[in-house]
Amino acid sequence: MVKVIVNGVEVEVPSNATVLDAAEKAGFKIPTLCHLEGIFDEATCRICVVDIGGRLFPSCRYPVSEGLKVTTESDAIRKYRRDLINLLFATHKIKCWSCVRKGGACTLLSLAKDYGVEAPVVCSECMFFGIDCLVAKGQPCLGPLTIAGCDAECTKNGMPCIGCRGPITSAEVWKSAIEFYDDKVKKDELLSKIKLFWNKYMDMISRYVEVKR
Amino acid sequence: MSLKIDEKTRKIIYGPKGFRIRIPIASCSLAAGVNSVRDAVVNAIESLGVEAEIYRVGCMGQCFIDPWIEIAKEGLPPAIYGNVDPNNASKIKEIIQNYVNGDLSEAMAVRFKVDGVKSPQELTELDPWKYQVRFVSRNCGLIDPESIEDYIATGGYSGLKRALEMKREEVIEEIKRSKLRGRGGAGFPTWLKWNLCYQQKSDVKYVICNGDEGDPGAFMNRLLSESDPHRVVEGLIIAGYAVGATNGVIFVRAEKPLMAERLAKAVQQAREKGFLGKNILGTDFNFDIVTYRSAGAFVCGEETALIAAIEGRSRSRQRPPYPAVKGLWGKPTILNNVETLAHVATIFQFGVEEFLKYGTERTGGTKMFCVTGSVKRTGVYEVPIGTTIRRLIYDLAGGAKEGKNIKAVQAGGPSGGCIPVELFDVQLDFETLQQYGAIMGSGGLVVIDDSMCMVDVAHFFTGFTLAESCGKCLPCRVGVKLLNQILGKIKEGEGKIEDLETLQEIGESIMKTSLCALGGTAPNPVISTLKYFKHEYLEHIERKHCPAKVCQKLVTYVINPGICNGCGTCLRSCPAGAIEGKPRDAHKIIAEKCLRCGQCMIVCPAGAVGKV
Repeated sequence: MVKVIVNGVEVEVPSNATVLDAAEKAGFKIPTLCHLEGIFDEATCRICVVDIGGRLFPSCRYPVSEGLKVTTESDAIRKYRRDLINLLFATHKIKCWSCVRKGGACTLLSLAKDYGVEAPVVCSECMFFGIDCLVAKGQPCLGPLTIAGCDAECTKNGMPCIGCRGPITSAEVWKSAIEFYDDKVKKDELLSKIKLFWNKYMDMISRYVEVKR
Repeated sequence: MSLKIDEKTRKIIYGPKGFRIRIPIASCSLAAGVNSVRDAVVNAIESLGVEAEIYRVGCMGQCFIDPWIEIAKEGLPPAIYGNVDPNNASKIKEIIQNYVNGDLSEAMAVRFKVDGVKSPQELTELDPWKYQVRFVSRNCGLIDPESIEDYIATGGYSGLKRALEMKREEVIEEIKRSKLRGRGGAGFPTWLKWNLCYQQKSDVKYVICNGDEGDPGAFMNRLLSESDPHRVVEGLIIAGYAVGATNGVIFVRAEKPLMAERLAKAVQQAREKGFLGKNILGTDFNFDIVTYRSAGAFVCGEETALIAAIEGRSRSRQRPPYPAVKGLWGKPTILNNVETLAHVATIFQFGVEEFLKYGTERTGGTKMFCVTGSVKRTGVYEVPIGTTIRRLIYDLAGGAKEGKNIKAVQAGGPSGGCIPVELFDVQLDFETLQQYGAIMGSGGLVVIDDSMCMVDVAHFFTGFTLAESCGKCLPCRVGVKLLNQILGKIKEGEGKIEDLETLQEIGESIMKTSLCALGGTAPNPVISTLKYFKHEYLEHIERKHCPAKVCQKLVTYVINPGICNGCGTCLRSCPAGAIEGKPRDAHKIIAEKCLRCGQCMIVCPAGAVGKV
C-alpha cells in the first residue's frame, strides 16, 4: 500500500494502482473516454489528464508512488480538457438525430455539457433527455441545425426548436441535416422558421436549402 | 580542427607506399559523382605510371566541396582538391601530374605545410574549418571506414579497453563527470539514463543505438556512421558494459543503405577481433550487437516508438514506465543517439578533460550541426556547445546565398522553432534554444531567406508532422491537422484575425496534452513564427498579400510591357488561356482567368513575367 495525496486528500491505495484509482478512492471524479478497465489502457484520448509536478499526465496510465501529489482540477486542466473535447467534435460526424445512444448514454455529450463545449446540435439535448424527435413527426424543428446548450427546454414541452442559440457553422452538419429533413418537413415552413432568427445567415443557408431541395 | 599531426596520423595520411590518394565514398559524394572521379584517378595513375594507392575514406562533412580528392605523397604536403569535375578526366590527370611535380597551386588547401614546398593555406586556416572543433568527427575523411586496423591505429578501441578495466559504477561516474547529454534532441543527461538502467535487476538488458535520424535537413548521424562506424560500435559496447547489458541493437533506417552496410561490417569486424562476443578482452563481459534495418518513420525519434518498431509497429506509448525500466521486450533498455555513443567512445579514448575543454557549464563537449538551406557552404560543422548561431551560419557556412538576405533559422527540424535573425547571437545549447521556442533537436539548422514565406514554412512543417504522426493520441492526430488546415486557409487568403488566437490556443493544448515528444513539439514552428513573424500572418489576413510572394493564391502575375518582346511563348503555355496579345506586341495577363500556376514565369525567355 502507498499513500497518495489527491487535491490535498490523503488516500492509501495498492502499489499497482493508477492515479485514476486513487482519485476515485479520494472521491474525485476524473472524466475518461478511451479507458476501459482491463481492456484498454493506452491513454490515447488524453481527457483524463491531471497535473503531476507541473506537467500533465493521463491519470488512467500513471502508476502511483509513495507521497505522489496530484491535482485533478484547475482552470488550466479544464481548459485543456475543453480543447480536447473540441478536437473530438472537430472530426465527429455530428448526426445526433440518427445516433443509437439515447438517454444520456453518450459520454461525449455529457462531457460536452460538463465542460460547456458548444460543438454539438440541439438534437444531442433531445437524445440526452430521451425526448421523441419532432422532425420525425413532421414538425419544422431547427434542432439539427442549432448549437446545443439550452437543455432542450422547448422540445421537452413539445415545441419545435426555433434556433435561438444560433446555427452551427460546420458545412458537414448542414449537409447531413438537410438530408435528414428531406420529405419529413415542408420546405416553406422550415425556411420561414429559419428567417425568424437567422436572417443574417440567409446567404449561407440558401446555399444548402435551395440547392438541396 | 584539432587534428594533431603526430607520427601515427602521418602514417595514415601517407600510407605504407608513401603515396595515397584519398577518395571519399559516402552517400553524399556518390551523389556528387565520385565514382567517375575514382575511375579517372585510376586511369590517370596507370597512364602516369605513379606508384599511388587509392584509399577509400568517408566524408569530411563539407558538402559544398563534393566531390573532393586528397593527394598525399611523402615529401609533399597532403593537398585537398575541392569540386573536382567528374566528367573531366584529363583535368584530373593534370591535377595529379602537377601535384607530383610539386605544383600545388590548384589545391584548395593542404592538411599541413611541409618546409620548402610552396603550397596554399592549411585546412584549419580556411573559414569553414577555422572555428570547428573536430572532437567526434576527427576521423571523418581521414581513415577507411571499412578497416578496423586503421581505426585501431588512430587510437580506436583503446577507450573500450580503458572502460573494461574500470568498474561499471566508475564508467557511469566518468560519463557523469563529462556532463555529456544526449545528442539526439532532448538533451537528457546520459549518465542518469545509464544509472537508472544499471540499477534494474534483470537477466537481460538491451542497449539500442538510435540511427534513425528522421529530421529533414539533418545528416550528421549518417556522416558519422559512414565515415567512422567503429566509433559508434565502440561507444555502444561501452554503454552495454556500463549498464550490464547483454545485447545491443543498432537501429538504422533502410533508406540509408550505405550507413547500415558499414555499421554491419564494423560489427562483423569487431566480432572477429574479439571486441564482441563472449569474454570480451579477457573479462567476463559478454555482449553482442545486431543491426536492425527499419522502414523508418519520423516518430521513431521517440524512444518508445523506436522500441515498438523493433517489436512490430512504431507507435509511442505513455511513459512511465521509462524504457530504462521496461523497454524492449519488457526488459530494461537504454537508447542513445549515434552521436552520443561516438562521444562516449571518444571520451574514453582521449579522457574527460579533453572533452570538458569545450561546452557550457551544464553541457560538455561539442555538437555536430548540419547547416542547410540558403547558405553558401552547406555541410556538417562540429562546434563546441554554446557557439552562437551567427558564428555557425555566417563565419562557418558563409552566410546567405548571392542576392538573398537571411531572415530566420529553423533549428531542430520540423518540431523545432524559427529563430529570427535579430536573435542570432544566442548560444546553441539546450536551455537557451528552449527559451526562445526552438529545440536543439538532432542539430539540423535550415536557413530561411527572404524569398520564403513564414506562413508557408509553418504550413509545410505541420504538414510533415501530420503525415508522420502515428495517430495514436487525439491532440496530435486531430490538433495538428486542424493547425495545418487553418494555416492552409491563411495561405489562401481566407484567414480571419481570430484564427491567430485559435492557432495559439490549439498549439498550446497540443503541446501540453500530447502523448509523446512528437506531438509535444509539433506546434513549435507555428508558435515560434506567430511570436517572431506575426506581421507576416497579419499581412496575409488583413491585406491578402504574401510579402515573400510564395503563397500561390495571393500573388498576381504581371507581364512587364517594357521587357516583353511578344514572342508568344507564355500565351501558348498558359493552361487557362489567360494571356492575350498580338505577336511582337507586349502581352497581358487577364487576372480573372489566371490560375496562378506560374507557368508563364517559367517559360518566358525574356524574364518579363513578374509576381506582385
